[in-house]
Amino acid sequence: MEVLLEGRAPIRFTHPDDFREWVRTHKRREPVEKLLSAREAVARYVADGDYLAYDFSSLTRGPQALVREIIRQRRRELWVCAEFTLHETALLTGAGCCDRIDVGFLGYGGYIGRAVSEGRVRVCEWTNGSLAVRMLAGARGVPFLPVRNLLATDTLLQSGAKVIRDPFTGDPVCLVPALNPDVFLCHVHQADLFGNARIFGTNLFALEAATAAKKVIVSTEEIIDPGEIRQDPARTTIPYFLVDAVVHLPFGAYPGGVPARYELDLEHIDRVNAIQDDAAMQAYLEEYIYGVPDHETFLERKVGWGRLKALIRRATVREGYH
Amino acid sequence: MATVEFTDTEFMICAAARLLEDGKTVFVGWGMPQVVTILAERLYTPHLVQVFEFGAVGPRSLTPFVRGTMGGPTNIYRSLQWTTMNWAFSYAATGYIDYGMIGALQVDPYGNINSTLLGGTYEHPARRFPGSGGGNEVASLCWKTIIVLKHEPRRFVEKLDFVTSPGYGDGNGSRERAGLPRGTGPWRVVTSKALFGFDGETKRMRLLAVLRGLRPEEILEGMGFEVKPAGSLEEMPPPGEEELRLLREEIDPSGIIIRGEKMRAVR
Repeated sequence: MEVLLEGRAPIRFTHPDDFREWVRTHKRREPVEKLLSAREAVARYVADGDYLAYDFSSLTRGPQALVREIIRQRRRELWVCAEFTLHETALLTGAGCCDRIDVGFLGYGGYIGRAVSEGRVRVCEWTNGSLAVRMLAGARGVPFLPVRNLLATDTLLQSGAKVIRDPFTGDPVCLVPALNPDVFLCHVHQADLFGNARIFGTNLFALEAATAAKKVIVSTEEIIDPGEIRQDPARTTIPYFLVDAVVHLPFGAYPGGVPARYELDLEHIDRVNAIQDDAAMQAYLEEYIYGVPDHETFLERKVGWGRLKALIRRATVREGYH
Repeated sequence: MATVEFTDTEFMICAAARLLEDGKTVFVGWGMPQVVTILAERLYTPHLVQVFEFGAVGPRSLTPFVRGTMGGPTNIYRSLQWTTMNWAFSYAATGYIDYGMIGALQVDPYGNINSTLLGGTYEHPARRFPGSGGGNEVASLCWKTIIVLKHEPRRFVEKLDFVTSPGYGDGNGSRERAGLPRGTGPWRVVTSKALFGFDGETKRMRLLAVLRGLRPEEILEGMGFEVKPAGSLEEMPPPGEEELRLLREEIDPSGIIIRGEKMRAVR
């Protein structure tokens, strides 16, 4: 195969057979209850040096409470897949948890841009779509998939993609390597104790990433009876055997929203995005993450029931989310 | 003659919305393009199918527009389909998407786009920005790409600090040679003062129209490359009453998105 061009970025790559072997030995096929606290789930399933991916966005159904728990447990040297991200990368970098970011969308606000400029975190360039295709390749058990973009750009040169001459058309085509994250975090509307999970609305690559990842932590707004899953199987976004831990985390997407449950808290989000320097970042982390032992205390002391009720009241669009 | 007051941002949004056709499809980028397509849907293109990278196809967005959001319940309201990113981009990859609309930090004479960094090196940029997002897919795979950006001459440069998303490369045929889908590419560049297109032969940017009351020289002054005006340069009317009412009262009553430099023109 003729390689015409290749990007220079390192990639986290798992041979498809090694991934299959991992699944064979680590992923339980029998239905067992997997309910854990956020603290237990992160302690057990997120290790220093892991490659971390998440779904959906910072503002909508993001696994914010789990990200805060990772920060609280001070994980180190994470490699983060920044797909559709506004502020997770800033918080994880500010907390010293992550040292490399695969960029679909790096993040918003001054802090993360400055951290990259100053070399406090290294970046590799991809695109939202190519990261989604990489996740699909990981989920299909193939080493790569071809795409017809990334071509003719510096994005390609700073990625880990390769351009080859396609044996079918004879034209150049771009190959993106499979992505098999160590950990996938997903916040959902409903899940049962075994890990069958339902997302209402759209998602980026929830099923691809859950299939491709070695360890999957699902946090959920609501725990439902397993019998409900079988009554409406078209609603199952992720089947239980892909899932390692289920964490019951109402308001787990705060300060983002969960469609048809609660709206995002734009005021708090603006506060995060306004963080420019390290002093402000450390003050934020101390107040909202290190300074509280868990998500429940965070909600009680740092957000308050009155504010949460107002966010619920604003979530008036319900149709389609059931 | 009556004059109308508006911001440069309002003009840019209105000018971009006027470009869209009814009964077509458009891939919508984050931020300003979302506001543009909501305005177009309300005024001109009730059957425009808006496609979003996060998996929403054909929503009828509710207003006001929630700043910063993508994928929230108001902007994916009453969609035709809720799916995933891989499927949303599949529609673009197979040729179903007529228009793509995205923003840019810098643009070059061939419509190549930078949204990644300014100055310095890749490892240590002077300023780092979010990067491609889904912009690279949109600019690569949709038939006609519309680039929307504020009219700041320093954003128009002969050589980009970083090529995030492809325009016409270094001229005619470059896209196809690189392996990008045949017949695609940038179609219009809408700024807060003017409208640009691309020469059919050379694929270099040219000036098509300017906001009423502005002279072409004012538009082109300070741009980092030579832009030839089209043979018959057109005049763009300022935003009309209904466009401004929708923007100010329904789409962005907070005024945060539409704020900008104050302008006036003869209606």
